Amino acid sequence: MIKFLFLLVITLFSSVRSQGNTLVLLDNQVIKETHSLFFKSLQDRGYSLTYKIADDASLILSKYGEYLYENLIIFAPSVVEFGGNLNVDTITQFIDNGGNVLIAGSESTGDVLRELASEVGFEVDEEGAFVIDHLNFDVSDEGQHTKLLVSSENLIDAPVIVGTKKDVAPLLYQGTGILADSENPLVLPLLTADSTAYSYQPDQPIKEYPHAVGKDTVLIAGLQARNNARVVFSGSLSFFSDEFFTSSIENAQNGVKSPKSGNEDVATAISQWVFKEHGRLRVKSVNHHKASEKQPPHDYTIMDDVVYTIGIEIYDNGKWKPFTANDVQLEFVRIDPFVRMTLQSNPKGVYEAQFKIPDVYGVYQFKVDYDRVGFTRLYSITQVSVRPLEHTQYERFIDCAYPYYAGAFSMMLGVFVFSIVFLHMKDDEKKTKGE
Amino acid sequence: MFLKRILVFLIVTIFATSHASIGGYICPYSRKKFLEIATRALNTNTEDISVIYFGANSFKLLNEALPKDLKTASCEKLNKLFKPTADLSTLFYGLSTNKLLGCDSKLSVEGVVKIAQEALQSDVSSVLDLHYASEILTLLGQPLSNQQKIVQLIQAQLKTDDSVLNLGYALHIAALLGNSGKFIINRIEDIVVQADEVDGKLLQWEGGLSTTSQILTGLLKFPTSNQLTQVQADKLGNYLLSRTTVQTPKGVSVLLEAVTALAASKISPVSISIAGPTSVTVNKPELRIQVTNILGQPLKPTPSPVVAQSATRIADDVVVLAKQPLSPGTKESEFILPLKLEPGFYKILINAGTHAATLNARVLGPIEIKNFEIGLSDADGSSVPKLEKITFPNKCSKILKGDSGQNLLVKFTLSQQVHQAFLRLSAGKKEIIFVAGYESNNQYKIEADLGQELPLSDTFTIELIIGDSIITNPIRWNVGNIEVKLSGAATQSVGPKIIRSAKPEIVHMFRQPDKRPAEVVSLFFTALTLTPFLVLLVSWKKIGVNFSNFTPLAIPFHLGFGAILGLFALFWLKLNMFATCAYLIPIGGFTFFAGQRLLSHVAKNKKPEKADK
Repeated sequence: MIKFLFLLVITLFSSVRSQGNTLVLLDNQVIKETHSLFFKSLQDRGYSLTYKIADDASLILSKYGEYLYENLIIFAPSVVEFGGNLNVDTITQFIDNGGNVLIAGSESTGDVLRELASEVGFEVDEEGAFVIDHLNFDVSDEGQHTKLLVSSENLIDAPVIVGTKKDVAPLLYQGTGILADSENPLVLPLLTADSTAYSYQPDQPIKEYPHAVGKDTVLIAGLQARNNARVVFSGSLSFFSDEFFTSSIENAQNGVKSPKSGNEDVATAISQWVFKEHGRLRVKSVNHHKASEKQPPHDYTIMDDVVYTIGIEIYDNGKWKPFTANDVQLEFVRIDPFVRMTLQSNPKGVYEAQFKIPDVYGVYQFKVDYDRVGFTRLYSITQVSVRPLEHTQYERFIDCAYPYYAGAFSMMLGVFVFSIVFLHMKDDEKKTKGE
Repeated sequence: MFLKRILVFLIVTIFATSHASIGGYICPYSRKKFLEIATRALNTNTEDISVIYFGANSFKLLNEALPKDLKTASCEKLNKLFKPTADLSTLFYGLSTNKLLGCDSKLSVEGVVKIAQEALQSDVSSVLDLHYASEILTLLGQPLSNQQKIVQLIQAQLKTDDSVLNLGYALHIAALLGNSGKFIINRIEDIVVQADEVDGKLLQWEGGLSTTSQILTGLLKFPTSNQLTQVQADKLGNYLLSRTTVQTPKGVSVLLEAVTALAASKISPVSISIAGPTSVTVNKPELRIQVTNILGQPLKPTPSPVVAQSATRIADDVVVLAKQPLSPGTKESEFILPLKLEPGFYKILINAGTHAATLNARVLGPIEIKNFEIGLSDADGSSVPKLEKITFPNKCSKILKGDSGQNLLVKFTLSQQVHQAFLRLSAGKKEIIFVAGYESNNQYKIEADLGQELPLSDTFTIELIIGDSIITNPIRWNVGNIEVKLSGAATQSVGPKIIRSAKPEIVHMFRQPDKRPAEVVSLFFTALTLTPFLVLLVSWKKIGVNFSNFTPLAIPFHLGFGAILGLFALFWLKLNMFATCAYLIPIGGFTFFAGQRLLSHVAKNKKPEKADK
């Protein structure tokens, strides 16, 4: 009985924790075993993984217009063409419809992955090109200095994507370099190489300028599309392997040592980001009213004191929890922002701003546009109309108009008094005359 | 060209006549990790006997003695969990664990024999059940009776499901059955054929590590008829080595089982590998080569002779060494090959007895920078550039000053050609890297047009980066600084960018109200406005006004007139036009009549006065 209850609890728990269906495309079944730690961490977090060989003829992503999977992992660097009805177009469409994709390439990245990479804003270096760094490589390197040790300093400055990078041991990386368009604001270089690195064929003398040199060499690139779909492209499949997860590291040049590489931590964090376990925001509630009231009015008058509150939540461990930050800004916009201010947060994830509406009437919007690296874009717009003062709402008694008031009233009083005097006065003069 | 062909032919013949080898062995690091996993398995508070079994089995296969406290704890756990009425797999794991651990207390095995014997004669037993049951009986020292029936059962089960895994179990039962188990020999070829090859290097049976291990250990129990070739054994060995990253106790146990069985067999793969680093330096040219079985143990008998058939420089395919015997090293399995060669990559063909392997090794050497010169030249080449000579690792004595019309010129000579010869200019987070062009005789030159290459005016740090895979001392040398002043295009226009951080705050500027005169001034003028009325009152007082013409008839008119004026005051203060009009009509009418009556009375009174005249 107790066992049964225990099972029940486990099933309940797991159903709460369940994440999306995930299709895993592999070059061969061995990758499933050599990368078992990575897949296990996904399964432990509740993903149901479907393993398929990348050129399996029965591959489909959607059926009757519904996607069967929420996430796609392509651990098949050398695939020449996908099987079934999978191709670059269907995968791009999958991303356009909000699907998340994790792709790992290698020094022999196939054309179809290159094409897919360029669809999402990355460019993979030529076939056979490795990222080489003669100053930062692991002792277990096999001679070409392609098994790099990348300092965790080179991770992007976004804890939501790569976790806290401070205590992370150096990362092992072996694979090709990626070029990311620095002009494209949606592309994020998650991990870059050191200044001494470059991407080239190790056994060819350098005749042309390498495609990627120094810090421009992106090792792992990420993309968050405008529809919040996320794509991560790693130039190294081994980065996610059990071997790189578990092996000890030692920099062959400067002797920096660690009993375990930082790969597992970073790969887990990246997988949590790309499959939207991390950095997912939503607006819970929006409210606005005059400072003295509770309900939103039909319209505002210029120079009203207004209170705006917005509740923001973040997805954390399967639940929506209050989100706390101190840089959420509100804009009060009529074509251009008239007011932009930082909202005051409270621990319940409710942000509040209080301000005076400008003295210009028109149709305004309360706009919260929270776009930060790693987070989904939060965009909330509430439209309100602001009208000018009614004639009764102007200032009533003005100091400098007192002479006018006094003039008018003294005239009225004068007429009144004069009328009494004029009507009832008895002419004395006549009397005297008569006398 | 002809020589090359001969060489290729030679290599091919060598491969054809001798056996290949595998590229590694269960290294001490993996052993240590396996031991950790096994210890963890024994320490976990599990209700599953199989976990204890896998832990104990791993310890035994690693030839490690179980710590005493761990042993007693595991025995206690086993005693508590083991029940003679459990299912066959639990019984099997329990009994084998008991045997592996060598516990002092005996498990109560009452009825177990009967359960196993019944299972062996039952039509509904699967191959797996039969496997467990026969293993249980063997563990308990009972003979397997009625073997014909067991064979029939297995064959019947295999007819319905002859997956490789079932065949693997059948192999194990057949091995226990002795002579009666010979029926399985017909299936061995079928089993071997079903193995999948991956990339031409690995061989496995579908179902992963545990299936492969099950089948392999089963096959190796039939040494005379297993038909596995040395090549297949090598590929299986490679597969097992590729799986040394397993993390589960079960994985470790089955992996070790397979590896041990493979090492003990006649087709034990030979591992020829480089022990330690795959590179030697010019100062220490001894390359240590290790010849072992897959477990990392020395081969018995020691293969001889161990010879380096050839060594080829990969860069230009020149054979630099041939038929050099290796001298024995410090350990039994170790051999030493001195590589007194120029720095570079070498492919070495090693023969150990009948086994051969191609190994890649590097010879490393130091690098030196000579004749380093740096300076600025005019882009149009109008004047002779002034170059300053610097010796490594000094810094440039002065800060170079350049502008957009100049080139940065760097020349240097290295002791050998390298892969990476870069010049890096950096300022803050910006960096620009130039690739040095190879001139001739290991001379390098960089000429960078400052106006075109640099994004903006700044002080840049100049660094020279020299790297190659065959040098022992890659160099990152801070040469000095250069101050660049760019004209014209220096201020780059930056397009609209998405700012992903807090934006500057905007506070609305309210329109300031017009300036008003001081209150005193308006009060003064108010008083001034009121003066005429006061003057009127005062002068009337002086003149003296008499109201003797007053008649009570006038009161309604004055009240009405006063009310109209009062209404106007109210209109100013709070009433609107409609309310005002509504009040005005009755009050106005009343005042009209009252005024009319008053005026006619006044007129009447005046007439008699006139008459008086």
